[in-house]
Amino acid sequence: MNLVEKILARASGRPKVDPGEIVIAKVDRLIMHDLSGYLTADVFDRQVGRPIPDPERVVMVFDHHFSPPTERQATVLASNRAWARRHGITLYDCGSGNLHHVAVRHGHIRPGMIVVGSDSHTPVHGALGTLAVALGNDSHAGTVLPYGKAWFRVPETTRIELDGTTRPGVTPRDVALWLVGRIGEGEMNYRALEFAGPYVRALPFWERWLFPLVSVDLGAKCGYIEPDEVTEAFVRALPGGPADLLERSDGDEAASVLRFDVGEVRPQVACPPTVGNVVPIEEVAGRPVQWAELGGHGGGRLEDIRAATAVLAGRHIHPDVRFNIVPSSRAVFAQAAGDGCVSALHEAGATWFPPSTGSNQAVNMGALAADESMISTHARNFPGRNGSSEARMYLASAESVAASALAGQISPAQEKS
Amino acid sequence: MTAPRTFAQKAIERASGETGLEPGRIVDAYPDLYMSHTASWRCIRTLEKMGVDTLYDVDRVAMVMDHISPAMSTKTAADHALCRDFARRMGVSKFFDVNAGIAHIVLMENGLVRPGEFIIGTDSHSTIYGALGAFGTGVGFSEITAAWVTGKLWVKVPESVRIAIDGDLSPGTYAKDVMLKLIGDLGADGLTYCSAEFGGAYTEALSVSERMTFCNLAMEMGAKNAFVAPDETTLRYLDEAGADRGDLTVLLPDEDAAYARSVRMDGSSLAPQIAVPHTVDNVLPVDEVAGTHLDQVFIGSCANAKYDDLVIAAEVLAGHRVADGVRLIVTPASAQIMARASSAGVLTTLIDAGAMITNPGCGACAGNGGAMADGEATLSTANRNFQGRMGSYESSIYLSSPATAAASAIRGVITDPRELLEAAR
Amino acid sequence: MIFEGRCWKFGDNIPTDRLVKSEYVFEPMEVMAKHVLEDLNPDFPVQVRPGDIVVAGRHFGQSSGRAIATKALKATGIGCVVADTFARTFFRNCFEVGLPALEISGVSELVEDGHRLRVDVGGGLLTDLTTGQKGRGAAADPFLVEMLEAGGLIKLAARRTDLFESGGRPFSQ
Repeated sequence: MNLVEKILARASGRPKVDPGEIVIAKVDRLIMHDLSGYLTADVFDRQVGRPIPDPERVVMVFDHHFSPPTERQATVLASNRAWARRHGITLYDCGSGNLHHVAVRHGHIRPGMIVVGSDSHTPVHGALGTLAVALGNDSHAGTVLPYGKAWFRVPETTRIELDGTTRPGVTPRDVALWLVGRIGEGEMNYRALEFAGPYVRALPFWERWLFPLVSVDLGAKCGYIEPDEVTEAFVRALPGGPADLLERSDGDEAASVLRFDVGEVRPQVACPPTVGNVVPIEEVAGRPVQWAELGGHGGGRLEDIRAATAVLAGRHIHPDVRFNIVPSSRAVFAQAAGDGCVSALHEAGATWFPPSTGSNQAVNMGALAADESMISTHARNFPGRNGSSEARMYLASAESVAASALAGQISPAQEKS
Repeated sequence: MTAPRTFAQKAIERASGETGLEPGRIVDAYPDLYMSHTASWRCIRTLEKMGVDTLYDVDRVAMVMDHISPAMSTKTAADHALCRDFARRMGVSKFFDVNAGIAHIVLMENGLVRPGEFIIGTDSHSTIYGALGAFGTGVGFSEITAAWVTGKLWVKVPESVRIAIDGDLSPGTYAKDVMLKLIGDLGADGLTYCSAEFGGAYTEALSVSERMTFCNLAMEMGAKNAFVAPDETTLRYLDEAGADRGDLTVLLPDEDAAYARSVRMDGSSLAPQIAVPHTVDNVLPVDEVAGTHLDQVFIGSCANAKYDDLVIAAEVLAGHRVADGVRLIVTPASAQIMARASSAGVLTTLIDAGAMITNPGCGACAGNGGAMADGEATLSTANRNFQGRMGSYESSIYLSSPATAAASAIRGVITDPRELLEAAR
Repeated sequence: MIFEGRCWKFGDNIPTDRLVKSEYVFEPMEVMAKHVLEDLNPDFPVQVRPGDIVVAGRHFGQSSGRAIATKALKATGIGCVVADTFARTFFRNCFEVGLPALEISGVSELVEDGHRLRVDVGGGLLTDLTTGQKGRGAAADPFLVEMLEAGGLIKLAARRTDLFESGGRPFSQ
């Protein structure tokens, strides 16, 4: 069995599982944010109303709001706090950071776990060798909270092997975006994706993170990276809990294998209206942008902030651009402040925002007018998420976002000389 | 020989070109600057309806997108876009976008407010410009629109009240405490339609930032404008801000000018003060409300989120953690203040203590976050605590100095900052 | 489980953000339902009738995993939703909230907006009554059919506590 099958077999108490069958498996972690958590709690209280036997399995992070702008939203958060307190659920309040980053950095995610969440990017935790799957609120309210279980269809697995050396200026984010364009949005529907190959193996943890992140764009149920010494070292440095949950596959061949040479990849941009509309950045270079943002599930990492600092230190962004920086966690913000990135990027004209998901769905920020465009490290660019449905969202690497903020138009990062 | 005159008389005479103006006279004045904030779109829409596309003097137009920044709704995003487009089309050089900070602070930091000038703004706390010896007053959007087109505004010459503040404050008390005490003593209507002229040894020794706190809060007693006499401190600030000193007209009140009233206050025995719900003039010394439970602490607003305010908060918070269950929101008043706080390490101290630093701007004071649910309480360094101003009608807002706010965030209840400051010494 | 109604046809890769825009996330379900898919067809939320059928192309319902997108679509009164393929969270949520969903490869080529359709969800069969064309998909898994019959996952879990209290496979083979 491969990693996903082994985890599902263990969690459903069976010696073996086969792709296609439906099993009911024990869930190790449920992660929720302020919106999905509210919806789940609402369904749970009104329609289920049983005790939660294992509240320590549940983590809630307020990340869509960094501070509620209306009484209605304040009431949503107050209700979440009261609900978490009532059930003994761990809560990270506004300003802690992005749900997924907070869950990892505080040690709530361990290799070999089954991690579920309503946030559709929950599969990102496959970067630690977990089976991480997005489920809907009714699964959480109806079975995960009261019984600690959920139903799963065992997925077929496709291994995506990446080999080769990237050209100068091409980042892992470009490779991940390129994969979505190359394979096609929704083309891996219902499947598990294993990201493998020498290119992936050589990446540090927070760069690996970007691959399971795009599983959902490909339609996959989950994505993972087989745990290795990089995973192990990363997990050992996290707070709390044992680090010996590392589960590995038996080496069985995946149902299908896709092989790519990353040497082909040029810097990429996902263009509106969908995440699969990916083109080399040259093809859209010159289109004006009024907004740029580092943030979201895949951005706002220290790596992104440092990359933007390298592009922008000592320079100033274009006068028509507002450049938002949203650290992925409080720890990242503190580190960026300590090592001078906060000052350097502020001097370059950027504006810092509290650790959160930033402009994701424009809860606290990021509503765009009809004629406006934003280039960001976010994971989504669908119309209707950020203000006017006519506004345009482009997704790219931190390097390209910073270069575009500098130029006032979509612009590839200049190769460092 | 003309009769001795107050600052307000001189400022309005200068702006109107009239002489011998006595309180109560109504004249047309030509403001030097018209400030409008995020809701400038109202003025632009009115101009469109009127079919007007030429302005009296575009160089006197200042627009700052501070109240809802950045946009959280399609509507606000469109409003901002309209303002940007208007500024570009008309050549408004004093346009500051959502990333700049609070209008008042941004304009002063950029040297756009000078002594003697007559400045109107679509924000009631425009009295703050008196910190630099200017005549600042709040007006409505229709008045700003009219000024854009005609260049003038009718104004009634106010009576003046002289407020002399003397004595050295004891550690842990600040300009904010002085003002809260004054507002409590004089009442929310204590200076209605008056020009508040601050003087006395204590006032003279204040920094421009502290004078801003004074003049900002004068509004909460109903003042039309406020004033601190420009001096060396003022000139130094103007130079740092890059203000043009070429044709400076420092206006000082005449020695024996006629005042409607004189108020004296000695700050030497003052304790930290708290404005308790739900009016700004409902003021008590901190010990009378110490221990009151808090859910949120907000260090922000044009009253108290300037650089020195953040430094004071950081001094109190250094080495401490915000209490569990309390949300500490720090919103620097401007991008410049954020830069100073960042490079001086103040930001790191605040983050390490558990504060959430937001983007510069009005923040929670203008509904950009900070809303409360039923039954919650916030201690804020802002200037208003009216019922329902921060979310639920069933929530409470207390007002204090940044030091009291920081100390209270550590304890989770309203706390006398002197307890923590003494412990630190 | 047979539905007959007007076909409302939509394209490929439609995200949940088109079903429930960000600005309606905090609104009550009735409000969300009044705006479902309005950017793509403003007539839909206004003119949709109980029992009508939504047909979409590939990867329908991608983006957010929140069940409100399926709940809002169900609240418009439609009988069922048919697509070439669904985004998996959306497909899952359909059954969990009791909205029948059927995958028929090529269905978006087969039918036209405004046609009358008959859909047999249990049998995996769609008939375009306007043209007489038929499309066939895989019959739904018995577990999912039972979920639909129960009225959604929460009702199923309450009825079949054995499934979740004991764990393992839902149906002994």
